[in-house]
Amino acid sequence: MKKRILSSILCVMLAASMLVGCGGGSSDSGSSSGDDAAAEESGGGEDGMTEGKNTFVDGGTDLSLWTFQELHVGFYTTMADLWNKENPDNPINLTVTTGESHSLQSKLLVACQAGEGTPDIADIEVGYYGSFLKDGYLLPLNDVVEPYQDEIVMSRVKMYGNEKDWYGVDFHLGASVCYYNMDIMKEAGVDPATIVTWDDYMAAGKTVLEKTGKPMCAVETSDLFLPQLMMLEKGKQYVDDSGKPDINTKEHAETIEFIREMIKAGVCEVAPGGGFHTEEWYGHLNSGGVASLAMPLWYMGRFTDYCPDLKGKMAIYEIPVWNEGDTREVLQGGTGTSVLKFTEKEQLAKDFLAFAKLSEEGNKYEWNELGFDPIRTSLWDDPEITENKDNKFLQYFATNPFDIIKKNGTDLTAPNIAGGYSATYSVLVSTTYANAFEGDLETPAADMLETEQATIIYDE
Amino acid sequence: MEKKSVFKRFLYSQKAAPYVFILPFVLTFFVFFAYPIVSTIMMSFQRVAGDNTTFVGLKNYKTLMNPVFYKSLKNSIFYMIVSCALMIPIPMILATMLNSKHMRAKGFFRSMMFVPALTSVVVAGVMFRLMFGELEGSFMNQVVSYFGADPVVWLRKPATVWIALFVLCLWRWTGVNMMYYLSGLQQISGDLYESASIDGATSIQQFRFITLPLLKPTTIYVLTISIFAGLAMFTESYLLFNGNKSPNNVGTTIVGYLYRMGMEQNNIGIGSAIGVLLLIIVMVINVIQLALNGTFKKGE
Amino acid sequence: MQSKNKVLSVLLFIFFAIVIAITMLPLILLLASSFRPGSDLMRYGLNFDIDWATANMNNYKLLFSGQNNYFNWYKNSLLITVIQVVLALFLSACVGYGFAMYDFKLKNAAFACVLLVMMIPTEVIILPLYRLIIGMGIMDSMWGIMLPYIVAPMLIFFFRQYLSGISKEFLDAARVDGCTEYGIFFRIMVPLMKPSFAAMGIYQGMSSWNNFLWPMIVMRSQSKITLPVGLQSLMSPYGNNYDILIAGSCFAIIPILILFVCFQSYFIEGMTAGGVKG
Repeated sequence: MKKRILSSILCVMLAASMLVGCGGGSSDSGSSSGDDAAAEESGGGEDGMTEGKNTFVDGGTDLSLWTFQELHVGFYTTMADLWNKENPDNPINLTVTTGESHSLQSKLLVACQAGEGTPDIADIEVGYYGSFLKDGYLLPLNDVVEPYQDEIVMSRVKMYGNEKDWYGVDFHLGASVCYYNMDIMKEAGVDPATIVTWDDYMAAGKTVLEKTGKPMCAVETSDLFLPQLMMLEKGKQYVDDSGKPDINTKEHAETIEFIREMIKAGVCEVAPGGGFHTEEWYGHLNSGGVASLAMPLWYMGRFTDYCPDLKGKMAIYEIPVWNEGDTREVLQGGTGTSVLKFTEKEQLAKDFLAFAKLSEEGNKYEWNELGFDPIRTSLWDDPEITENKDNKFLQYFATNPFDIIKKNGTDLTAPNIAGGYSATYSVLVSTTYANAFEGDLETPAADMLETEQATIIYDE
Repeated sequence: MEKKSVFKRFLYSQKAAPYVFILPFVLTFFVFFAYPIVSTIMMSFQRVAGDNTTFVGLKNYKTLMNPVFYKSLKNSIFYMIVSCALMIPIPMILATMLNSKHMRAKGFFRSMMFVPALTSVVVAGVMFRLMFGELEGSFMNQVVSYFGADPVVWLRKPATVWIALFVLCLWRWTGVNMMYYLSGLQQISGDLYESASIDGATSIQQFRFITLPLLKPTTIYVLTISIFAGLAMFTESYLLFNGNKSPNNVGTTIVGYLYRMGMEQNNIGIGSAIGVLLLIIVMVINVIQLALNGTFKKGE
Repeated sequence: MQSKNKVLSVLLFIFFAIVIAITMLPLILLLASSFRPGSDLMRYGLNFDIDWATANMNNYKLLFSGQNNYFNWYKNSLLITVIQVVLALFLSACVGYGFAMYDFKLKNAAFACVLLVMMIPTEVIILPLYRLIIGMGIMDSMWGIMLPYIVAPMLIFFFRQYLSGISKEFLDAARVDGCTEYGIFFRIMVPLMKPSFAAMGIYQGMSSWNNFLWPMIVMRSQSKITLPVGLQSLMSPYGNNYDILIAGSCFAIIPILILFVCFQSYFIEGMTAGGVKG
């Protein structure tokens, strides 16, 4: 009897859930699209979370776009509306789809392989970009980027391709900086402005540890920002000029040994959760568990989103270097947005992409809403941007990021992501750094890298 | 008209009927299995790149001779062996105890034990990932701290990763295997136990000399499915590490490596080669299994 | 003797109560945690330190608010599960019946193929299968998920086993009465197979509802993906979707639990009758 009652209760719940489910879906498609074409297209599946559309226009050309970041949806749809306002004769109806990063990009890769089922435009994370470039799945964007080329930092664009052909446009400049928790630094009595070299950083770290008991910095085992930064400062890449994986280098070994020294001294810890994009890490950071962090400027948004307790306490300074006088101008991370070669609307997709990412309007949106340091140099001197009291990023940080951007100028060192970079990246973030910084701190880095180099599978 | 009725008569004949009945299987077999298997074998000798696909001989197999592949192979085999070692005796003993005539509320316990199998591997993966989190407040760390130990970084150290994977496996499948054993136990006549207890056999002796041998067919069946499930394990690891990326490949299995090569890095040829090797391993085990099965039958 | 038995039965009861408590623990933990803010779980860990004063139904409100795709995924999963269970039961029963009741040429070879499909991990052929699905134009559709597994070898195996216990003379009698071959199957056999349908219905329902890898690969549009795939996509490091993830995970267990509760007695009966012989 009891069982009967339980099962009937469950059945009622199920029926209720289905009703709600269907109801929710249909009311949604009615309100958000406001257009028959849109509803017809998606069959009521669109909503704020995983799919976005701009306001569709009659006679507009359909464009599809994949991204792995929900925040990008609003950006693209806003830009599509803006495009339609400025180009009433050639409007677009944009559908943006998001999903989990790894699976979405694997799906995109396999769709490219099959030559079918790709969107017109896609966001591709820098770690995956090489795979797409290698087999020629992307279209060069030179003709649409050229009109903007004097107004933007070209090393960010050339990174997605080579000197001659440019295939991707990023959301941001992505200049690397050092974020300091000023509460901890003050307690230790260290002024971040005096830290110039990594040796200074190490010495400051020891003071911080002594005075506060907290580590100066953290290193990831599931990503590569700190070692990559140090490598780029040495002018060394993970792949050689022809794109072949090349991780068994003297510079790389030195970098690893230096980070290990910091770990052994207690100055550096392995990031909780293994990376700077995990909840464990955000919690640790927010509770003031670490004194500083070297990451690109786009990481500002993570602070404002996940570390509310640190508001006003974080300051942005330049990154340390190996020798005084070395370049402190390095680009890291990023997302190359590209037009897939399988598109049937090549020109429109390219035009829209350049407009969204490189125009002044687009860059303003990226900075104001997403906290992305603008790739357009004109914005760096616009007081309405750089001194905007209402901007949540400028409010959050104690120092102004534009001071560093302006000082760095436009000649920045970008990672070489060509050829075997994707395969290399995958090995580095799955085994190399997990081994080097957590699993086995004793094996000499040079020996370790020799073995690691052998496991990279790069099929030219 | 004449022709149609001949055809109809043929279709309804006793000779044609079995073929009609098994037709759905034959169709799906040729379309979705035979062709892909042949295609996998072919691609394993190719560099697959759309129109520029070229024959590369054994190159893909040579490429596979690398430490990561060996490690994933080792991981899969280790997982298979240990999961078999756990997933046979534990459910068998539980089922025997549950089947005992002294047991009350059998149905209730039986159903409750089965509930974990109903939860999706995704849900189970999320749950275990959080339970085995590295935070001090994560459930498993609370448990170990109760015993006075320091918090453990569960999912980044090989030994603890295996603990998490086996706990997950035990949790999800004990109920299912227990069900198989329960149904096996139903087929053992109660008279056997009665006469044994009249002869003065203890419960343990009864288990050893009656239950264990008579459960052999069930054990063979459970062993078979455990072997194949163990070798093909991927989803659990994928979800426990939130992606196919366990630190230092502690949880990378053969299928995980196949997925990485084929789906993530677009090396379809190499991925296919892994598939072929896995196929060969499965076939070999299958043959051994059948041989043993045959000898068992002779022995009985 | 009597008292010894009583002690034994109490001990057994206590033992199983503990086993069940451990088994249920993760699920209870999940349920309890679904009343906490998702970000708390990630920061402070999944545990029983629940501050009931701040516990609330917000996650469920969010789940039901229609602000997300959750029920869309739910609907997709339900639809796929129902269609697949019905088709797979019917087709596999036909095939199993063919194998159990007839002798025909190549029967053994064909049955060996059934066993082969049962043994081969899907993952081995996932790459060509994927390309095949694209070639057939059923990518990103529920047919792409269902078609390759529409005839389930496990079910065929089970039905064959189940039917082999039924005497073939029965069939001859029916033939004499003028039943066609197909009439025998539909009018006589199908009713006899009821308990096995229930058992295999649960089995197939479980695997369809919980299937993850293949649907993840086949489905592209977010609006079409199934529940497990959708839940997994909430674990993205770029979004803060844990609120829905935990509440949604709890809710995802329900349909299959209902199926099990309703049919569990048949399930055990069917499993036992089918017998599992290596």
